[in-house]
Amino acid sequence: MHTIKSATQEPATAVKGTASLRSPVIVRRTASLRSPMALAMMAVAASFVLAQAAVAETVVRIGMTAADIPRTLGQPDQGFEGNRFTGLTMYDALTGWDLSSSDKASVVVPGLATEWAVNPDDKTKWVFKLRPGVKFHDGSPFNADAVVWNVEKVLKQDAPQFDASQVGVTASRMPTLASARKIDDLTVELSTKEPDSFLPINLTNLFMASPSKWQKLYESAPGADAKAKSQAAWAAFAADASGTGPWKMSKFTPRERLEVVKNPEYWDKARVPKVDRMVMLPMPEANARTAALLSGQVDWIEAPAPDAVPQLKQRGFTIYSNEQPHVWPWQFSRIEGSPWNDIRVRKAANLCVDREGMKDGLLAGLMVPATGTFEPGHPWRGKPTFEIKYDKAAAQKLMQEAGYGPSKKLTVKTQTSASGSGQMQPLPMNEYLQQALAECYFDVQLDVIEWNTLFTNWRRGAKDPSANGAHATNVTYAAMDPFFAMVRFLQSSMAPPVSNNWGFINDPKFDALVKKARETFDPKERDAALAELHAASVDDAAFLYVAHDVGPRAMTAKIKGLVQPKSWFVDFSTMSMTP
Amino acid sequence: MLAYVARRFVYAVPIVLSVALVCFLLVHITPGDPLVAVLPADASQELAAQLRTAYGFDRPLPVQFGLWLWKAVHGDLGNSIATGRPVLSEVIRAVANTVTLAVVAAVIGFTLGLFFGIVAGYFRNTWIDKVATSVAIAGVSLPHYWLGMVLVIIFSVQLNWLPAVGAGPGGSGEWKWDWAHLSYLVLPAITTSVIPMGIVTRTVRALTGDILSQDFVEALRAKGLSETHVFRHVIKNAAPTALAVMGLQLGYMLGGSILIETVFSWPGSGLLLNSAIFQRDLPLLQGTILVLALFFVFLNLMVDIAQASIDPRIKRG
Amino acid sequence: MTVITESVLQAAPVTKTRGYWGTVGRRILRDKVSLICACVLIAIFLSALFAPWLGLADPYQGSMIRRLRPIGTPNYPLGSDELGRDMLARLIYGGRLSLIIGILPVVFAFMIGTVLGIVAGYVGGKLNTAIMRTVDVFFAFPSVLLAIAISGALGAGIVNSIVSLTIVFVPQITRVAESVTTGVRNMDFVDAARASGAGALTIMRVHILGNVLGPIFVYSTGLISVSMILAAGLSFLGLGTKPPEPEWGLMLNTLRTAIYVNPWVAALPGVMIFAVSICFNLLSDGLRSAMDIRE
Repeated sequence: MHTIKSATQEPATAVKGTASLRSPVIVRRTASLRSPMALAMMAVAASFVLAQAAVAETVVRIGMTAADIPRTLGQPDQGFEGNRFTGLTMYDALTGWDLSSSDKASVVVPGLATEWAVNPDDKTKWVFKLRPGVKFHDGSPFNADAVVWNVEKVLKQDAPQFDASQVGVTASRMPTLASARKIDDLTVELSTKEPDSFLPINLTNLFMASPSKWQKLYESAPGADAKAKSQAAWAAFAADASGTGPWKMSKFTPRERLEVVKNPEYWDKARVPKVDRMVMLPMPEANARTAALLSGQVDWIEAPAPDAVPQLKQRGFTIYSNEQPHVWPWQFSRIEGSPWNDIRVRKAANLCVDREGMKDGLLAGLMVPATGTFEPGHPWRGKPTFEIKYDKAAAQKLMQEAGYGPSKKLTVKTQTSASGSGQMQPLPMNEYLQQALAECYFDVQLDVIEWNTLFTNWRRGAKDPSANGAHATNVTYAAMDPFFAMVRFLQSSMAPPVSNNWGFINDPKFDALVKKARETFDPKERDAALAELHAASVDDAAFLYVAHDVGPRAMTAKIKGLVQPKSWFVDFSTMSMTP
Repeated sequence: MLAYVARRFVYAVPIVLSVALVCFLLVHITPGDPLVAVLPADASQELAAQLRTAYGFDRPLPVQFGLWLWKAVHGDLGNSIATGRPVLSEVIRAVANTVTLAVVAAVIGFTLGLFFGIVAGYFRNTWIDKVATSVAIAGVSLPHYWLGMVLVIIFSVQLNWLPAVGAGPGGSGEWKWDWAHLSYLVLPAITTSVIPMGIVTRTVRALTGDILSQDFVEALRAKGLSETHVFRHVIKNAAPTALAVMGLQLGYMLGGSILIETVFSWPGSGLLLNSAIFQRDLPLLQGTILVLALFFVFLNLMVDIAQASIDPRIKRG
Repeated sequence: MTVITESVLQAAPVTKTRGYWGTVGRRILRDKVSLICACVLIAIFLSALFAPWLGLADPYQGSMIRRLRPIGTPNYPLGSDELGRDMLARLIYGGRLSLIIGILPVVFAFMIGTVLGIVAGYVGGKLNTAIMRTVDVFFAFPSVLLAIAISGALGAGIVNSIVSLTIVFVPQITRVAESVTTGVRNMDFVDAARASGAGALTIMRVHILGNVLGPIFVYSTGLISVSMILAAGLSFLGLGTKPPEPEWGLMLNTLRTAIYVNPWVAALPGVMIFAVSICFNLLSDGLRSAMDIRE
């Protein structure tokens, strides 16, 4: 009995708890025979145990919400979930996001570029200095040629590597990038169509795939002409990808699973993964995901079914969540005749909603009340004077000033969908707003349409017949990038069909601020200009700001050291898995 | 017999062509942008036009159909828009997984169905018959996707006995016929087998009952033939119809497991079809439907030929 | 393929008199199972039809603080759903849409398929070939696949779901109708009618229709349960009814995640689909044996 007890303690520390405890116990019991033979056996057995400990792989299996594995060839589809799982894992971009803190805002940091600056004489030319000594997973070096090649894969139509299927998701996120030119091996010049200080932020979306790997695949690819060969090469590249990221592709079963292993040679030693292998499985259905976690098939799921959260907690799973750069708004129509043209009405709506009540009563705590597109602490927040909070009396007063009251209700119509990416729980949330706004003399009518239609109508604008006379639309948006968070909604030239200024906001003040921000190239001053724009939009009550999503995920308690930043992304390198 | 087989094959050609046309039309009458999978809604109009040309969606429909058919005849169903992978390889992989599921489900469903059916037919209007027919009718009346969800909750979530979703610990690419993999198949196969079980039971019960009540069976029994011989007669007479029904059911399982595959995330043709529909991936959608329909036509052909070889009277039809 | 329908469904007695239908009625009334099923179905029909007058809660009005209440909660006899709407009200109102999208496709397909089948079977020749070969093309698709493919193409919605299911059932009914018509066509009494100078339309309407309607009708009632399950399945996949309409398949879908909180409530729509489907199946069986149509 005594030997067993001591045995369980000693080898356990020796193998750092990675091997199972059972085999060392047997080893020591044999050793207690104290014969030379037994000692020899022990030595053999012990080395075996240690060897086993060394090879015992730590694996984390993740259930994603995507219906299919996001594309693995460098430019993922499936929105930011795609970037999270198949972009930032296997690839790096010139610039990246700081994902190291759960309290501070996630800001742009150097990635494969160490520094960058705009040409003071020609504000459409930027010089990027590249990180030396970085290698792709296939061993080829990362250099200026690789950057030019990757820019041209989506922008230069006659380049052999040009791939139409990657253009849509990439070009729309870098609307002004025009071309790239090599200066020397570690210096590149990027040109934009017009001066645009947002370029470094946009570039987080252009991932660097290995040109030499692709070239090899291209040469052996089947196909009648260059175009067919190029397509086949990209298909082959997707199945055997090579980037510079902290994870390397290991195994890929289309539509079922993607396995990546850690890249011990990753250039940022602080971000070499602690887990050996990560498996990603597409599980679009919340219930199936939750069942997979509860039955031990996966270790981590994205977006558990909210109703399952209590049971998950009770079974010892950990729920992570944090404010995300995401806004759940009503975007107002500002065309002639829209009741939202009166700023008192816009402010009243913003003051009439008890967002805390929505958070706890409706969403099991899984939202952050919105007081603007960015919350305090964010560099682009600024200092709005209009404070968005729940103040029913003030809201009623504003409505009465605007000429409405209990006997004269204001009818407003909002288009929304019953489901959709990022829409959270659109129907219950809108019904909640309907009830809340009724207290402030609003008569809210909901026009529920299909998610894809809603999304398409977003681009057609409030004047289009497809808007069906709605005074507001309820499409949620990501707020990672100043263009997507503000410019496309507030600038008058972004009105349909150009972009998503759905309500035709036309305010010279916003236009001037957008121009100022775009043409301010010092990062600090640019952030200050963006903050000014944001403060102005809040003061104007440009939206009905309701909620930010919190990106809930549930995982086994064995996963430690994970940081969930205020971002759509997460750094998988920091987590460890205890057996 | 050979002539009959040849005739059936020739007869299948126009059907196959029409099936291809229906597939194509079905997919192309659809309103909505075929490029939604690769084109974000906030993309500019030039970008949209540029991509439409790159994918050939700007050409007239008959031209698109002709090109597609010409390539399809040569074994090329084009590339998926969302993934860029060849449609044919995607469909073949998915169909292989569906076949795995369907075959196991067919073994379960047909065995139980034949057993219940024969027993019920032999003991018509006894309590055994009542139990068997109740099981059968419950089988055909159950919304099977619902049954699947209930089974997952019981056996995966609560009891932790069986995996809830997926096709094996390493994905379908590493499928083996051992318990570690078969455990993934248990719940979806049982769920899939419920309807064929019910239908086969009902058919076989009726057939057995009818044959047993016919005069020649009485005559055989009167002649002192053993029950084994009578049973053999029953089997022989019931086989063509039972076979036809089972063949048809197998076909339905191959094409119709979309609901079950969705519930269990089984990576088969149904799940592929589901994602093709929701991603509006036209080449994948029409390719999948075409392959499944051709499979079904082929299976029907096989059933016809098998029936004809058992029962020569059919050949004249 | 052709063999199946012929042997599965043979038109039995050809000459049907008033006495025959009387016998059928008496047989049904003696069949306890069919009787119970008919009663259950009638109860569900009537409650769906008169739902607004039953003093039920509003099936659309939810209350988030009272969501997912268990069965037997005061004011919520069958609990509440994920938006706090009364389940009893939603199940009863849900019967309206569910029955409509389940039964209408069969009714439409019955009308279209019967006409097509009788014409093809009676006229024969080129017309028969044209109709039956078109039908064969649709038979090349497994029915679930066809329904989902058509719904996927047309987009989600109640009307589209009815249209797609109708297209699925028309070929099946046409084939049965054609097969029984061909059987009746050369019977003596039809020959007699023809000899006495009756026109094709008259013969089809008077002599053929009366004799083939029975088997087609029974076959169609058997399809209703399939149609109910398929229609609910389409909604379940998001290809049928859209929220917030109460419909059993959709309710099953939206209540899926509630299965962790309140499995009994989440199971109720499935129970309704099952109940209606099994009743139609048993009733169809009862009808079949009462009319003495061999399976």
